[in-house]
Amino acid sequence: MSMQLEHVSYTYMPGTPYEKEALKDVSLEINKGEFVAVIGHTGSGKSTLVQNLNGLLHPSKGTASLDGVDLSGKTAEAKQARSRIGMVFQYPEHQLFAETVYEDVAFGPRNLGLDPEKVEGRVRDAMKFVGLDFDTFAQRSPFSLSGGQMRRAAIAGVVAMNPDYLILDEPSAGLDPGSRDAVFAEIMALYKKRGIAIIMVTHSMEEAARFAGRMLVICKGKVILDGKPAEIFLKEKERLLQAGMDIPEVCKLADALRARGLRLPYEITDAKRLLAEVKRRKGLK
Amino acid sequence: MEPVIETKGLTHIYLGADNNRVTALDGIDLQVMPGEFVAVIGANGSGKSTLARHFNALLLPAEGSVKVHGLDTLDENSLWKIRQNTGMVFQNPDNQIVAAVVEDDVAFGPENIGVPSEELKARVEEALRAVDMLDYREHAPHLLSGGQKQRVAIAGTLALGSDCIILDEPTAMLDPKGRKEILNTMLKLNKEQHITVVYITHFMTEAIQADRVIVMSEGRIEFQGTPKEVFSRVEELEKLGLEAPLAAKFAFELRKSGVKIPEGIITNEELAEALGSR
Repeated sequence: MSMQLEHVSYTYMPGTPYEKEALKDVSLEINKGEFVAVIGHTGSGKSTLVQNLNGLLHPSKGTASLDGVDLSGKTAEAKQARSRIGMVFQYPEHQLFAETVYEDVAFGPRNLGLDPEKVEGRVRDAMKFVGLDFDTFAQRSPFSLSGGQMRRAAIAGVVAMNPDYLILDEPSAGLDPGSRDAVFAEIMALYKKRGIAIIMVTHSMEEAARFAGRMLVICKGKVILDGKPAEIFLKEKERLLQAGMDIPEVCKLADALRARGLRLPYEITDAKRLLAEVKRRKGLK
Repeated sequence: MEPVIETKGLTHIYLGADNNRVTALDGIDLQVMPGEFVAVIGANGSGKSTLARHFNALLLPAEGSVKVHGLDTLDENSLWKIRQNTGMVFQNPDNQIVAAVVEDDVAFGPENIGVPSEELKARVEEALRAVDMLDYREHAPHLLSGGQKQRVAIAGTLALGSDCIILDEPTAMLDPKGRKEILNTMLKLNKEQHITVVYITHFMTEAIQADRVIVMSEGRIEFQGTPKEVFSRVEELEKLGLEAPLAAKFAFELRKSGVKIPEGIITNEELAEALGSR
């Protein structure tokens, strides 16, 4: 099971003076079960990329498909394929609209034509997944929640669709460190329990290093790097900086320590591991 | 020296979901001195943004007072003066651009207060130069990067003659390069033009560069001090849903395990110096 882009190019406003080619001949495959981070500067084409991946935009050239089904099709099969891909936009709390959290989360499943009992089951599951207690929150207005809670309610609306592929566009933007960790704990639980694929757009190198098994670096409409985050951060620092990206703080700290003569293994992108190594150098276990 | 901003017992109350009275700010006493670079950190909902909106009279105190350059924000006659003196930059760069050309956008504020056209031109040019965006003066703002858009917004406040700029999570939506651009721009304006800066952020690596860090929690100032003082309190920060910079966390953990290292380490370089052999 996989989603595929084959030679995908995408041009905004073709045939006008504002014509802009945002994706240039991109080919890639993402398998179910992968956690992929997508990084790139503003305007690099990452949003265009993920919108092609979930069928919101259709390629100007090439094809985007899910298990061989062309996502741009008008058939029932294509519609079914698109419904297997969930998308959580940036600041998803801005898209809350219903009078209660229950109604908001139930909107998608209801549109799938599920009967009321099944809809309730989906809502209960989804709210549990994002850590919103059903009895406390289901009947409350989503607009009375805190920022972090609103975001979780919005994510619950997408989770309730039971997607096989979940696309998250900067899920932690504007959250404090505590709320951010809570949102990620839920995303990771979802990822592990359901075995879905997660494609996450992020500006945080820390998040890419901590959570993703694979990282795509987008620059000028092309995928310039595709590999394990740790390897890219260690081997491609220069190209990352050129692309307006950075390396995680833990890599910077490790570099600073090495510069002062501390002998540390080369391949560290994890804070716990670095701390353990430093302790070992200082004669502690 | 007169403070740029002074609050006394500032309290803000709004009506919540079920007509509950929610106290967003609870008796804040605060002074920001001319030329200071103050960072404000705190969890979502701790009152940071509410506080910032009191600094240029977008919100008014329910109790207590706010004075900007000695002018009371409750005095309606002072509003225009206060808002010229303290510029504000928000999180989303796309929500604060009004014109189709960069220099028109920067000119919008001063034009509205009737700055004569010769002076207007000079002000716009100077403001764009200060944020290193002069080369883009004739560009369309919507085609700029996030960091460039935010710098245009900063230029807008400078052109209005603000000597104090309040930024409410200006880098939350930016990529790493954009984040560096904004922080460096503000540090430069602070150092070279003595612009007073109030900088709200969730990025501790940014707050570390300030002269003073204010930690907010539940509408109160929990504690404050130099970055060294504040970020050494690793456990307290975590309890508030915040985090210390990585080097401070490492120093804390190492000290706990019995490694002898000095207090007040918050940067990678300081930690490396304390641990290294050269």
